[in-house]
Amino acid sequence: MQQLNGSAFNPREVSLFDMAVDDGSSDATSFFTTDDIEGLKTIPLSPSAPSKVVAVDVSSLKIGETETGVLVAIRGAVVWRSDKGYEYVRCGPLAFHLGHGMHAESSLGSVVLGPNQMFTERAIGRLRNTLERWIQREICDSFGESIILFDGSLTVGTPDNPTAHLTRILRSARERANVVAGFSKSTRLCAFGKRITSLVSEARAPCIFDVDQAVTKQFEAHPVQLAGHVYVAKLVEDGFAFRLDIDRNVSQEKCVEAMNRLIASDVVMQGYPETLRLAHIFSTFTANDVIATQRYLAYAYGLRIAPRFNIRKCLFGPFGTLGAA
Amino acid sequence: MQLISYPDEDVNKSDYLLVEDQRSHRGLIIQVVDIQFANIPGILEDILRDVMSEESIRGNDIDPLDISSQVAVLKDTKLLVCKIRGALENGRPTHNVAWLPSRISSDISKFPIETIASGSDLSRPILLGRMKQNSSFMIDAKMLDGRLNIVTGKKGTGKSHLSKLLAMSFLDHGAPCLILDVNGEYTNLTRRASGEKSPYEGKITVLTPRVSLRFTLAEIGLGTMLDILLHALDLPGTSARVFATIWRQLEQKGDLTLKSLGEAIAGSDCHESVRDALQSRYKTLADAGIFTDDTPSTSSHRLTERLGAGGAVVVNMKNQSFTIRRIVVELLLSKITELLSHGRLKAVFLFAEEAHLYLRETYWDDIVTRMRHLGIFTTFITNQPDTIQENIYRQADNIFLFNFTNERDLDVVARAAKVDGESVKLLVKDLPAGHCLAIGDVVHDFPVVVNIRPLDVEALGGTRYFFEENRIACTK
Repeated sequence: MQQLNGSAFNPREVSLFDMAVDDGSSDATSFFTTDDIEGLKTIPLSPSAPSKVVAVDVSSLKIGETETGVLVAIRGAVVWRSDKGYEYVRCGPLAFHLGHGMHAESSLGSVVLGPNQMFTERAIGRLRNTLERWIQREICDSFGESIILFDGSLTVGTPDNPTAHLTRILRSARERANVVAGFSKSTRLCAFGKRITSLVSEARAPCIFDVDQAVTKQFEAHPVQLAGHVYVAKLVEDGFAFRLDIDRNVSQEKCVEAMNRLIASDVVMQGYPETLRLAHIFSTFTANDVIATQRYLAYAYGLRIAPRFNIRKCLFGPFGTLGAA
Repeated sequence: MQLISYPDEDVNKSDYLLVEDQRSHRGLIIQVVDIQFANIPGILEDILRDVMSEESIRGNDIDPLDISSQVAVLKDTKLLVCKIRGALENGRPTHNVAWLPSRISSDISKFPIETIASGSDLSRPILLGRMKQNSSFMIDAKMLDGRLNIVTGKKGTGKSHLSKLLAMSFLDHGAPCLILDVNGEYTNLTRRASGEKSPYEGKITVLTPRVSLRFTLAEIGLGTMLDILLHALDLPGTSARVFATIWRQLEQKGDLTLKSLGEAIAGSDCHESVRDALQSRYKTLADAGIFTDDTPSTSSHRLTERLGAGGAVVVNMKNQSFTIRRIVVELLLSKITELLSHGRLKAVFLFAEEAHLYLRETYWDDIVTRMRHLGIFTTFITNQPDTIQENIYRQADNIFLFNFTNERDLDVVARAAKVDGESVKLLVKDLPAGHCLAIGDVVHDFPVVVNIRPLDVEALGGTRYFFEENRIACTK
């Protein structure tokens, strides 16, 4: 980061309508379909003894561009519900400069991304996952007999999501009698010609819908693997249905019991656990966070804010400002 | 013009700033007329998040870069809404503002507006009060000379206090003042707050109708009397002609007295209805106690002498009826006009408090046109701005605005031609008691907020309270 001293950067333009934060919450698998309806069953839920619920979420955001790379901010949040109500720990924002070449530097020191990291966009995802996995591991090592909610699926085997990391996290969780469940806000998984979340539209809430068999068939010859047993969760009537991945090494009986405890312990608005919603809120970046981080970088590293170069504006003037093709 | 201000920058409404363009070596003089929070996208989301975490969620932030402090700065970042008032070229103020400074290479600093607004050559200084920076603010009395002035604001904000200050300052410079005092507030200007005599003892004469304000009919003259009858007592024109005939006959006989006038009206051979009209008006005039046949006791001499010597005459109209007030004002204005026309007076500064209570419709135009040319320079003082005609606001040279919160009142005062309406509305509604926004020639068209200085005079005219604690609180 010190190498950037005094150089210019194009700050991210802040807009209410253009603050898409990348929190990796949707599954990254491809679009699959199957007509096999075997193995599908609806499992009704009923509230049981309450327990501690912990949620983890991490967000990253590109906050500017330099001539040699991009400036990125990352923030993670852990929220848990205890007898005292909701509590949280938030880490960040942490600022990074990702060079277009081989190196990544942060305001806190160097972060090794791997020798093949050539594309900054993917590097951002990998950075975010690094922090997210680290926080998840710490949580699984710290809490016991809790339901630990991750934002997104328990998919592994992608370059950004090495299998070993999540396997280690899930093992640690099981050792402390925790159950890890991943809620995906959106999914591209399909079964029987439908998106899996559409399969439970007629089901009576609260329930989970076991689609694992139908889904795993699609991954038999695929490098991407599912570390979680895949369900569709419909936790409240008139709420949304979500893809739910629960640690595959936990028995279904325990999975159901965990979900029974979840609906007894947490507020579930619109079908989404409040703890996880809060973790998302605490980790995401607002426009103020972006401006403040830009201001910090400008002060700390003497970066000059340069006007954003817009080739369309240059070429087409007022006819090229919308960026449409 | 809008500027961004960080929380550690102490900028207040009405402050002046200088935006200096380093490349063109000139600057714009701007005034802050409103301060808002900067409308940063997503600020509501941030605040909601803060409220949520403060009230229901406890937690820790690990923020190694201390970005949260930067966010806090952004949340409290202000947007200064400013108006361009002038420019500075080579250190000299101008009104050439047909340019804009650079957004990138301009320096912004506080500008001591008193250096311009007070004027460089204060030949007849009046210490008006203090500005926010605690610096003294002076105006030049000559900027009120020949001008039409308005002092307005809601009740209890300090209008009369400023009027007294201006009147006493005029006296300091030997300028004659005629004060039409409807509440008896100016009658003790010769006393200090402690009750001792003030330096103005001997410079101010108080005339009270029925007590010390008296004229003979000869001193008044037929013209003034007809004005009183027509405008103050609504005498029909036909009756006025009969009255003029009676008056002239008495003048020719050398017997123009109140007594003989009454007898002549009673004995006139005009139509009964005309006689009745004249007799009822005569009775009102006689009962007013303003007219006398005793020549040595009249006020004419004292009025002329005091004003001629650069003193002040306070006409105490407290507890007088509407009719008496109108008669007195018709009479005095007529008298003053006569003195000015004959060159016996150079000019008079007229302080007209709540003028709608005694000034007839036709006088408003007269005051801004004919009387101004004769040498009557009026200062209207009122807490009901809509009682002053719109053309007065448009033609006013100086306006001293105290606090108004009522939108309708603000709309009225915003008609002043010397400054834009938006500035008036934004600045005036937040003025604390005792502070006024001075607009016009007196501040060289740079509107300035001044905390009017205290006066060492016996306080009269304040609100009388029943409950003791109210009185004490007000005194404090």
